[in-house]
Amino acid sequence: MSEVDPRWGADAVPALVVENVTTRIGPLTILDGLSLELRAGEVVTVLGANGAGKTTLLRTIAGLYPPRQGHIRLFGESIEGRPAHEITRAGIGHVPSGRELFPRLSVADHLELGGRLSPPARRAELRARMLAMFPVLGRRLGQRAGTLSGGEQQMLAIARALMTDPRVLLLDEPSTGLAPKIVLSVFQTFPMLREQGVSILLAEQSLTLGLTAADRAYVVDQGRIVLSGAAAQLAEDHRVVDTYLGR
Amino acid sequence: MLALQILVNGLLLGGLYVLIAQSLNLIFGVMGVVNLAHGAFIVVAGLFTYWFASSTGINPLAVLPFVFIVMALVGAGLQPLLIEPLMKMGRSKAELLSLMVTFGLDYVLVELALQVWGSSFVSVPYLQSSWKLAGLDFSQALVVTGMFAALVSALLYWWLNRTDSGKSLLAASQSETGAICCGIDVKRVRMLAFALGVALAAAAGVLVIIVEALAPQTADDLTLLAFVIIALGGLGSYVGVAVAALLLGVAQSITGYFVGGNAEYVLPYVLLILVMVALPGRFRRA
Repeated sequence: MSEVDPRWGADAVPALVVENVTTRIGPLTILDGLSLELRAGEVVTVLGANGAGKTTLLRTIAGLYPPRQGHIRLFGESIEGRPAHEITRAGIGHVPSGRELFPRLSVADHLELGGRLSPPARRAELRARMLAMFPVLGRRLGQRAGTLSGGEQQMLAIARALMTDPRVLLLDEPSTGLAPKIVLSVFQTFPMLREQGVSILLAEQSLTLGLTAADRAYVVDQGRIVLSGAAAQLAEDHRVVDTYLGR
Repeated sequence: MLALQILVNGLLLGGLYVLIAQSLNLIFGVMGVVNLAHGAFIVVAGLFTYWFASSTGINPLAVLPFVFIVMALVGAGLQPLLIEPLMKMGRSKAELLSLMVTFGLDYVLVELALQVWGSSFVSVPYLQSSWKLAGLDFSQALVVTGMFAALVSALLYWWLNRTDSGKSLLAASQSETGAICCGIDVKRVRMLAFALGVALAAAAGVLVIIVEALAPQTADDLTLLAFVIIALGGLGSYVGVAVAALLLGVAQSITGYFVGGNAEYVLPYVLLILVMVALPGRFRRA
């Protein structure tokens, strides 16, 4: 790794380590020996054009696709190859692309389902925190998820993932289909999450958005990391744009 | 008064239909599997009840909890064996292959029932008179079975909407990935749904044989009846299906009176064709 955030010691156990992971879907190799690291308390963005492998990376970490080879460690604990629901329970919150809400269940049901594994006291605490973070959800508690606006749905998907009390949050293109103003309000919750000890791995197609929100970033192309570094540095690096344009 | 009587008969019959259809709906909603062996489970449970009640003299309704539990175990055993392996192939492929697998299962169950009980129609002679109230006749068998069916359906509805396991099942049926993101073991939920669906079908079978005669070869008629109801009510929608079941009961009661008994049995098929032509979108998941 090129950079170490001074707030976190280099010797601390990283929140998430992805090591030489290869994932195939059918005959296609989507991730090709990909490695990255997320330190505790960091926000790291995975940048890449459409089809670069960002979603597959997040889904592989979440256990939805079993990796063909390589290791994935959550605070030093090996999680690759475990059933996906157990990975959720181990502390990986996933806000998948397309949000994957339950259209005919209420906002309150989503929060309850997300928090179903926590003891009642912790669940109540998490719920209160979510309603403070996303006040709009509090006004829609009885409403079905399918009737919410796009921004509200995205907030609900994030709140549902946070209700599982994760140590690492995977966010798959939360900006899709949202007005920039709403995206920024989603990103504004990151410092709060960081304070609560949640590390964030964000997959993002938009360079500007992805780099504003992050400490560090990786650029993925054809299932491999081609560039990495501090977000501010990468924002100046013309090679990032070149990768996007396939140069 | 006559109109009221027809309505009462229809609603009572519809109460039984709710249970017949809801069990198929449950399995379809969660797994996208149209269980073509649905009617066979109803018939097997019904014929077992007939055999057990007539050879021991025990009240057929007392058989219901036993049949429910045994068939739940049968469902829990069959699902990982026959259905779960298909789920890895993706939803659309699994839907088609599960049709074939459950069709095969239906065939096996019906042939087994034919070997064991033969092909003659049998019914359990129980509660054959009727109650008179406000000038209306209430068939005792229909009232009691309708009440049982309503009770079981209400319990199912309560379980789905008020308990953690029930909500997990609803969640998994609406988004599998979303359910996994909540730490729900979707594989276990699918097994639970199939077990419960089979057990509810069996419970319906115990009640059906009290009301009308069954034989192994009627299995497919029952499957189709259930399918028509969930298509009318909206695949995967529990309230819609309950309403459709009651309406079909009333519609059958009306045609049965005005057109004749045979028309009553043709009605579900006619409705199926009409719905398919007029509202093809109805066959998509709600």
